[in-house]
Amino acid sequence: MLGRRAHENALRWLLLAVVIFWSAAPITLVVVSSFKPSHRIFEFPPTLIFTPIVSHYVTLFRQWPEFATTLVNSAIVTLGAGALTLLVSIPAAYAYSRYSSRLLTWSAFGMLAVRMFPPIVITLPLYPIIRALNLQDTHLVLILLYSTFFVSLATWVMKAFIDEVPRELDESAKLDGCNVLQLLAWIILPLSRHGIVASVVFVVVYAWKEFLFAFLFTTSAARTAPAIISEMLGSVTGVAWGPLLAAATVQLVPLLVFVLLVQQFLVKGLTIGSTKG
Amino acid sequence: MVVLGPARERREARSARWARLVPYLLIAPVQLLLLLVLVFPSIAAAGMAFFRSSFGIDATWVGLDNFRYVFDDYRFWGALRNTVVFVNVVVYLEIFLGLAIAVLLATQFRLQRLWISIIIAPYAVSAVIAVLMWKFILEPDTGFVNYLLGLLGMERILWTVIPWHAFAVVVLLEVWLNTPFTFLILYAAVMGVSQELYEAARIDGARGFQLFRFITLPSVMPAILVALMFRYIFAFRTFEVVWIMTQGGPLGSTDLLSIYLFRNGFRYYDFGVAAATALVMVVVTAILASYYLWTLYRTMVRDAR
Repeated sequence: MLGRRAHENALRWLLLAVVIFWSAAPITLVVVSSFKPSHRIFEFPPTLIFTPIVSHYVTLFRQWPEFATTLVNSAIVTLGAGALTLLVSIPAAYAYSRYSSRLLTWSAFGMLAVRMFPPIVITLPLYPIIRALNLQDTHLVLILLYSTFFVSLATWVMKAFIDEVPRELDESAKLDGCNVLQLLAWIILPLSRHGIVASVVFVVVYAWKEFLFAFLFTTSAARTAPAIISEMLGSVTGVAWGPLLAAATVQLVPLLVFVLLVQQFLVKGLTIGSTKG
Repeated sequence: MVVLGPARERREARSARWARLVPYLLIAPVQLLLLLVLVFPSIAAAGMAFFRSSFGIDATWVGLDNFRYVFDDYRFWGALRNTVVFVNVVVYLEIFLGLAIAVLLATQFRLQRLWISIIIAPYAVSAVIAVLMWKFILEPDTGFVNYLLGLLGMERILWTVIPWHAFAVVVLLEVWLNTPFTFLILYAAVMGVSQELYEAARIDGARGFQLFRFITLPSVMPAILVALMFRYIFAFRTFEVVWIMTQGGPLGSTDLLSIYLFRNGFRYYDFGVAAATALVMVVVTAILASYYLWTLYRTMVRDAR
């Protein structure tokens, strides 16, 4: 009996090892290899023990001086999209939580329905419009686009959190002479601050990773990191993998840290977003 | 009761009118953003499908010509066939892997939270980086996988040349990138299954796989359906991974509808044909989302009355 237990346990850990390898090996390989000298990058089997060097990072920023700018652009666009998403979603979430009417119901339905829309479809009409408005290659275009695809989810996640705040607090704040915006800022938001994180994580991740819109609507001034890395990837010849792996590491690691930090909010947001509309 | 002066009455009536407007003012920014960036452009895209337009050419009404062109184009049918195969393979693999990992993790390991963190790590990887990563690993001459296959005396993976290798590689990438999503949804569901159900089944003599088959699986079925639907909708529009990896090649083996749309729109600048393809994609998405929309309508609109 004990033997069988031990077997089962060993099997469990073996399977876990396979799963962990599948998830982590590609990422680890890229990050670790970016610190290896060129002649050791394709060494087989890959080793974890070596003297790390940063020369690929130096080469990267020397060969692609605009890479630093694209990182800054990615940061601006990501923070901007996060801020705009919160700015428009929080008031709407409060309205959907506390008020009800035919129009509100239908507008919420519409909001959640258009969430399913394929982004690639609107690239066609937006291409000429953005040129006509002289908005090509600006951060604003990307911020607007990224926010738009996530305001529905953000509003709905935020609403679920605001639903948890007792309505009595609204009433007493109103008796004290608060208007709606003051009530939101002083009473509701501090009590639903986890909702703020849960509703903003998805747009942050999306904005940092997005390629299609960045590729189409930016050329240099607002070019983001994924767009330029795809360019590098296209121009790589032979075995000049070092700087590419360095670029990948620089783009990947900040978001990886972020995702691991907000892990619990991801689960919460996914559950609300997928089961309640 | 206090008698109110007319001025005060007017003031109160005005503030009551304002109070009624408050919720609409609060939702106005969200609705405005969606209208301006999503809804109006979508209507414009639908309109474009009935015009011939390109750079330097005034749009001319061509009726259904763009649709005729698309439906006569063997590349459209190739892309549609690839998309159908791609979506089904990718989605079911993701659900299977997500569920298997969820059930495994539900048995609780030491350092459980660390393992979960690692399992969801691919969610932080953008399509560009994923392509870079796997191009590196699958490098034809020096990459690790091909080196290993060479050692074992097996055929190398030549995804830039052999069509089905390319298709398998983009499937692999998409599955690798999205398994964290199905895992997270299904793990939450598996963990939510009541322990009493398992105990009752054990008393009835159920063991091992039977417990999974008769307790876990039926209990998490709603979550599987949710994950299935979301992944169908999102896998159907897959673009970034495939465009960056293969641009639809070799020999059109990884040509998906999104790639077909993009090539017509932004390589050939044939906006009409691209818009007609877009409309097809919207219709299919609407069909895939119909269950979601119906549930949404039922729980929000109908039951609210």
